[in-house]
Parts: sequence; C-alpha cells; structure tokens
Amino acid sequence: MSETTTAVQTGALTNIGFLELEKCEFYRNPNGFLCLRYEGEEHNRVQALRSLPLTQPDAFLCIQDMENQEIGILETLTTLPEGMAELVQEELERRYYCPGITDITSIKEKMGFYYFDVSIGGFKKTFSVKDLGKSIKELRRGGILITDVDGNRYLIPDLAKITPRCARQIEPYLY
Amino acid sequence: MKKKGKETRGKEKEKPRQKGRLPKEVLALLEQEGLRTDTLLAAVTGDMDNTGEFCARWAAFDEQGLYFATGSETVVSKKGSKKLKTDYRLHSLETVPIGDYDELKTERYVSTGRLIGKKNGEDCSLTLFSIGFLKGFEDFCKTYNTFKSGKPLENAEQEGEERKCEKCGMPIPNGFHSCPKCADKNSTIKRLFAFFGGYKKEVAVVIVSMLIGTGISLIMPKISTQMLFDDVINKAGTEPAEKLIRTLGLLVLGLFGVRFLNTLFSAVYQYIIGGIMPRVIYDIKQKIFVAMQRLSVGFYASKQTGSIIEHVNRDANNIYWFFVDGLPYVLINSIMVIGVTGFLFSLSVKLTLLVLLLVPMIVLTLVFGGRFFRKLHHRFWIMNARVSSMASDNINGQRIIKAFSKEVDEYDRFAEVSGKLKGAELKLALTEATVFPILYLVIIILSTVLLAFGSMLVVRGEMTTGELLTYIMYVNMLQGPIDFLSWVSNWWARCVNSAQRVFEIVDSKPDVLESETPVMLEQFCGAIEISELVFEYEPARPVIKKLDLSVREGEMLGIVGKTGAGKTTIANLIARLYDAKEGSVKIDGVDVKDLSMKQLRSNVGLVSQDIYLFIGTIADNIRYAKPDANLAEVIAAAKAASAHDFIMKLPDGYDTRVGSGGQDLSGGERQRVSIARTIIQNPKILILDEATAAMDTATERNIQESLTRLKSGRTTIAIAHRLSTLRDADRLAVIDEGRVVEHGTFVELIKAKKEFFKLYKIQTEALKSVGIVE
Ligand SMILES: Nc1ncnc2c1ncn2[C@@H]1O[C@H](COP(=O)(O)OP(=O)(O)OP(=O)(O)O)[C@@H](O)[C@H]1O
Ligand SMILES: [Mg+2]
Repeated sequence: MSETTTAVQTGALTNIGFLELEKCEFYRNPNGFLCLRYEGEEHNRVQALRSLPLTQPDAFLCIQDMENQEIGILETLTTLPEGMAELVQEELERRYYCPGITDITSIKEKMGFYYFDVSIGGFKKTFSVKDLGKSIKELRRGGILITDVDGNRYLIPDLAKITPRCARQIEPYLY
Repeated sequence: MKKKGKETRGKEKEKPRQKGRLPKEVLALLEQEGLRTDTLLAAVTGDMDNTGEFCARWAAFDEQGLYFATGSETVVSKKGSKKLKTDYRLHSLETVPIGDYDELKTERYVSTGRLIGKKNGEDCSLTLFSIGFLKGFEDFCKTYNTFKSGKPLENAEQEGEERKCEKCGMPIPNGFHSCPKCADKNSTIKRLFAFFGGYKKEVAVVIVSMLIGTGISLIMPKISTQMLFDDVINKAGTEPAEKLIRTLGLLVLGLFGVRFLNTLFSAVYQYIIGGIMPRVIYDIKQKIFVAMQRLSVGFYASKQTGSIIEHVNRDANNIYWFFVDGLPYVLINSIMVIGVTGFLFSLSVKLTLLVLLLVPMIVLTLVFGGRFFRKLHHRFWIMNARVSSMASDNINGQRIIKAFSKEVDEYDRFAEVSGKLKGAELKLALTEATVFPILYLVIIILSTVLLAFGSMLVVRGEMTTGELLTYIMYVNMLQGPIDFLSWVSNWWARCVNSAQRVFEIVDSKPDVLESETPVMLEQFCGAIEISELVFEYEPARPVIKKLDLSVREGEMLGIVGKTGAGKTTIANLIARLYDAKEGSVKIDGVDVKDLSMKQLRSNVGLVSQDIYLFIGTIADNIRYAKPDANLAEVIAAAKAASAHDFIMKLPDGYDTRVGSGGQDLSGGERQRVSIARTIIQNPKILILDEATAAMDTATERNIQESLTRLKSGRTTIAIAHRLSTLRDADRLAVIDEGRVVEHGTFVELIKAKKEFFKLYKIQTEALKSVGIVE
C-alpha cells in the first residue's frame, strides 16, 4: 500500500492512504478494462468503488486491484487530468449503474407489490418493488433511489425537476 | 454469416434445445438476420450493451459461434384489451467464432454485472447487464463452459429468462413461481377459507342468522314510516282515533318485535364468530410457527427475525379483523343492497330508475375519494411507523446515547421525523376537512333531486306520502352499505395479501432438507472428511472455495485464520445448518446430506460465536438439548464449563432468569453457559467457535482443562484467534479466503515459517513486548 500522506492533520487519524494525483496514471487496456500505473507499479485491471455511493458519489473513491486489495483512495475526481477523470467516472457509472427515471406513468399496488410503470430515457419499463421502506431511499438534494425485487436500481435524480404529476405519483410512497 | 434462414422455416414445431429461451419474436428477428435459432444451445436476455448503454441485449451460442444482439423492447398496450404486448426491434447482431473464448464468467458489481470471456488467459468484457439478470447470465456461462469442456449438456429448461405473466403481461419477480398479482389470488382465498373447514355447521348458522337478521331489519322502514304515515297519521280525522291508536300500538309492538329479533340474530352470529375466529387465528399462528421451526438458518439470515415476528403478528391480525369486522358486513351489506333495491322497485319503478342513474355517480366519487385518501393514509401510516421505530431504537440505545452524550442530537433527529409525521397528519386532516364536505354536498344535491322528483310523483298521485318517506329512508339505508362496499375491496386485498405472506412462510421449503432415505449410523464415531467444498451465501460470492480438510476420530483440530476467512461457515456446514453448493462434508464416510438429521444434530455440538440464551432460567438453558437431565448433570456441566462459580454468586443461582428481559450476563458468562449447554448434550463432535474469546486467560485455561478431560473419544474442532487457546490441538489448519492454506502440527507449522509462523510471531512479540514469554 502507498504511504502517501496528503491527508489533513486531524488528530491521530491521518493515514487514510490517499493516492497522490500527480503520480496516478489511469488508462484503458485493449480489452476495455481500467488500469492504473502508480509510482512505477503497473496494475492491470483495477476497480473503482465509491465510499459514499449515496451521498458523495464523486469523493473518496477506493481503487482496488482485482483481488480486492486496496491500492489507495482518490479524494476527488476533479483534480485528475482531463480524460483520466472520465475513465474513472465511466468505470464508476458501470458499477453503480442506475438508470434515471424520466417519467412515472403509474404506480399500482397489488398484493403487496408496487408496480412501477416508468420511462427511462425513451424506454418504457415496468418493475415491481416490495418492502417500500427498504427499497425507496431518499437521497440528498431531492434524489430518490429505488431498488426493485431483483436488485436492479433506478434513480430519480431530482424530485423537484420531474413533472409535478410524477412527483405526485411517487410522493405518497416516500418516507 | 451465411443465409440459413430459409431452410429452417419448416422446423418451427421442434422444441428448442436451449436453456433460457428467448421470446419468439426475438427468435424470428434473429432468423431474419440469417441465424439458425433451432440449434442454439443457450440464450440469455440482458438490458445493456458492452458500454453500459440501456438497450435490449440478447446473447446466445451454438456449436459455431457466440452471438450478441442489440435491439429495443417497447411495451405497448394492445387496443381493447388489458394485455400488454412487447414490440421488439433488432439493431445489430455480432458473431464471435466459438473458438475465441475458452471460458465465460460473470462478475458481480453493485447494481450491474459483467459477462467476461477468457481469451488466451486474458479477460475481455462482452456485455454488461443489470444485476437482476445475473442469474440468467450465470446459467448461460455454466452451459457454455460445460459445452466447451465437452461434457454433455443438461436438458433444456426454461430458467433464467425474465418471466412475464401470461395474464397481465407484468414481469414476475424472482422467487415467485407465478404472478403474485393474478395467479395466487384464488388459491389463497380458497386456502384461507379452508381454515374454516372444521366449523361448517357454525358457519352455516352464522350465514342463516345473518340472512334472517338483515331481512328483518329491512322491514323496519315499512312499519316505522310507511304504515305509520299511511295507516295512522294520514288517516287522522277520517277514522276514529281509538282505532288509529290501536293500530299505532300494534305498529310499536311490531317495531319492538322486529328490533328484538334483529338484535337476537346479530347477537347469535357475533357470538359464534367470536367463538370461531380466535381458534382459526390460533391454527394459523400455530401453522406459521411450525413452519418457522422447519425452515433452515438461511431463511432467517436473509430476513430480519424481528421483522418476521412483527409481520406474522400483523398479518394474523389483519386476517382476524377482516373476518370479524369485515366479511360479516360484506354479507350483511350485500343482502341489504339487494333487499333494499327490491323494496325500492316495489315502491316506485320510476324513482328507482332515477336512483340507479345517480348511484354510479356516488360510487365513483367514493371510489376516487377513497383512493386519494388511501395514499394520504399510507403516508401517515409510514411516518407513524417510523416515529415509533425511532422511539424504540432510542430506548434500546439509551446506554450508548448517554455514553456519547448525544441526547440533544437524538432529540433533534426525533423532532425532524415527528415533524414530518405532524405534516402528514395535518395534510390528512385538512384534506379530510375540505373533501368530506364536498363529498357530502354531492350526496345532498343528489338526494334533493330525488326528493323533488318524488314529491312530484306524490303530487300527481302516483305515490303516497308514506311511500315517499319510506322510499327516502330506504335510499338512506343504501348509503352505508354502498360506502362500505366501495372500500372493503381494499381491505379485502390487504387481508389476502397478509394471507399470502402467511402462506409464503407456511409453504417455504427449507433449503436444508432431510434425505428421503436417511442413513442411521450404527456407531457415530466423528471422523470428518471435507472435500472440494464450495459454498456461497449470495450468488456469485463464494465464501468457501474448494476446501479440503479432514479430522480423524477423536482428534482435536484447531482452525485459525483472519476474520471473515470462513471459519464459522465451515462450522455451520459441518453441523449442516447450510448445505454445500459443491463438494461434500462426510462424517464417518457418509455425506451429511444423507445422514439422519436427528442423529447428526444430536451428535454435533456447536458452541457458536454469537450466543443466544433463551428466556428461562440458567438451568433451563443448560439442559436445553437434554430436557430430562437431572440437576446433578446440570451442575456437573456448569462446573466443566467453569460456570458454576459465577452462577453461585447470583442471588437466584441456577434459577436466575436470563434471556430477554432477564438478568444481564457478561459476554464471558454467557459463553460459559452456552458451553455447558453443549457439554450436557455430550456430542461426538464438538465445535467451539471462538467459544472462549470473551474470557480471561485463567478461566479459559480452566475450561480447556475440563474440555481435555471430556475430549477423550470426542472429535473437537476449535476455532480461535488467540493461538494460546489452541495449544492442546493435535493439528492446526490455517484458513484464508475460504481455503486451507496450511495445516500440520503446531511444531510443523512453526518450522514451516509461513502463514502460521507469521501469526504466531505477531502474537508472541506482542506478549514479549509486555514482558511475557510463552
Ligand atoms: N448470512 C450471511 N450472508 C451473507 N454473507 C455472510 C453471511 N454470513 C457470513 N457471511 C460472509 O461470509 C464470509 C465468511 O464469514 P465467516 O463468518 O465464516 O467468517 P469467520 O472466519 O468466522 O470470521 P470471524 O473470525 O470474524 O468470526 C464473510 O465475508 C461474511 O461477510
Ligand atoms: Mg466466525
């Protein structure tokens, strides 16, 4: 593990293992996988994980090799050179893929299942949700995350930005 | 791709061989592209392409190649029917020669998964998919890999595809055999009523008395209004007062009589229902409890136990109240509606036709209003539940809240949630305050129209005053039942829903089932042989990976390893709390899956890491496995577990009540009680999972000594982090990531200077640094 200490001095808890941005070199190998060259070490295929997927998706990104060993933590994406940030972002989006719901046609309750009829981009999609309390999470800034019975996730990015009709549909089911 | 489409046209009747069939529209599209679909060996549907774009994605392979198709899938509703139809389009078809990828595998991410092909030892991404499709892709990989290894393929099965209900076109969630929305409703109802099967006579009496009671109450307006007006009041002055008073007296008597009979009959059926329901609910709860005992540990791990109990109780109550407070009134109110309508027609056909025109309007208002309120109620209910769960969380966590002096923050958190509850309640109340008057206004307007029309009929002489007033009374009598019937369906749905959940538990098959021909060992010796064991709690996340391990009869094996390495899992698999996915655990040469469950469980004693003490006395807890143990045995077991001394310090000794609500024991004390519980069982195989971790070294030493005495003729597996705990072990195994990385005697392992040596060095150095040499 890297011994970098770009961390702020906050009492005793300083060694978080941040990656030094200027030493990072992210690239994509010919098979389409994300790789990292760091301090001269070559990591063929790395994975990027969010520490706070719900509240701070772009901060504290944990970079691991395929054996789930942590290489280090990226404090933020914004300071990575152009191009590289996008590579990491792409990797994150694939792992945490969460299609944005653009329209809610209807939500029907039948026998304890809630059938959501929604549009995602141009596509219509029907999925069912059980156990609303656990499956519908309100995120910061008006976002809503819905997990269906199969474990797929859907996102309403901002409740204030979808049409009032949609908002009324989902409203009664929010905690 | 060569055009092969034409030749295959005639073969459509042949049953496709592939596992996980594609929709036939898609097959047709693929055929148009020139792909022979009848020779496909496996196929799978996904929802993303290789870059993670949302689209319809189909993958398949045959003996020549691997095919990936991208397209779109739009659901359109068919005109004139409720059925949904899916419209498929094909955008591209990509073909890869079958030789390219030696192996396929899936990787699981948070909400997605990836299909990966191995080409010359390197991973290539083939497609991404939402996590819900993982199972399908896993099966696909399995079939592909089986095919590549040259082994014969299993027969075609229709698994792994996204299933849709034939009736309603909605996707069927995983874990359900049929659409929970359509199919099960009838059978659930049937089964629910089956609980009343033993009470046929009572039910018949209930129905008859309801019919009579309600029928009688229907006559009331006739007497109290029509006869009163037409035979008494309107005849005042035209007939002698005495005669009228006599008639009046008769009417009053009749009214009393009718009331009395009505009350009598409703008392009868309420009494009977009151007598049946608790027994029916008892039966239901009993069934659930029995089912819950039968289920395997996995069922409980996947749901929170607390919530199961809560649900069971709530569901049983839902059913109870519907049958006590709902169903009888469905019957009564339906009889009312039918009877009243009959009377209405007999009084005036014209007016009734008008009413029939107006009633739908009222019903519609009620239904829509009801729906609107249901949402508000729902929100109110959720908020309420949240406030109470927060309150109970707070009470349970008081110690910690105080320790961190977080009272004020907790108060703020609570204030926020209860503020939301207040909001929901306010909204509900305000809406009710505005909507109900409007609703009633509608009803009032309608009844005024009715009154006006009726008066006109009276003026024209087509009706008497008494008849009109009676008529209006009947109409008013309709309002309650219609209101009730318009929302009772929701209640009914909730009840069926509850029943369905209840039956889900009653029907769930335990994953760990006793073999149909269980083997009873004549002598249970306790030699364990684990070979190529693979196990996973969640799909695609193996915890035990091809583990081999053997323990001889009477041997003591120590297991060490990092936390999360899978040690507890191994213990669970030996005790058969879970079943192995691949490979086997054999005891005395017999697979545990074939062994008699009773023999296995009584011969394998597991002192587990997280200890649960049942509500009861310490003595009860110790003799849990052997309820007929006498007190001497209990005390002997407690002594062997070094529990006796601390128990004697408690004022109530062995009679101290423990478990929830009882005396709090310390972590180490609880461990000692649980060791005693296992010792009294006298199992041939004793598994100690961190059984002494919470104890001081001296107590641990004591227990070890007594265990050594008990050890003879017993196979012992001791799992521990502290290596000193394992110094009596004959052999040690080091587990890492679900594999045995090292095994041998203590001395051998130290000499080998590998994993174990490292662990040992760390621990002894820590001891040395404080001046202790082991
Ligand atoms: N019921 C479960 N469902 C899903 N995963 C589980 C379950 N129980 C355990 N696991 C996972 O399985 C892995 C092995 O767990 P196990 O309890 O066997 O570890 P262990 O070696 O006993 O660890 P420790 O030393 O901390 O007791 C862990 O990664 C754990 O998260
Ligand atoms: Mg454990």
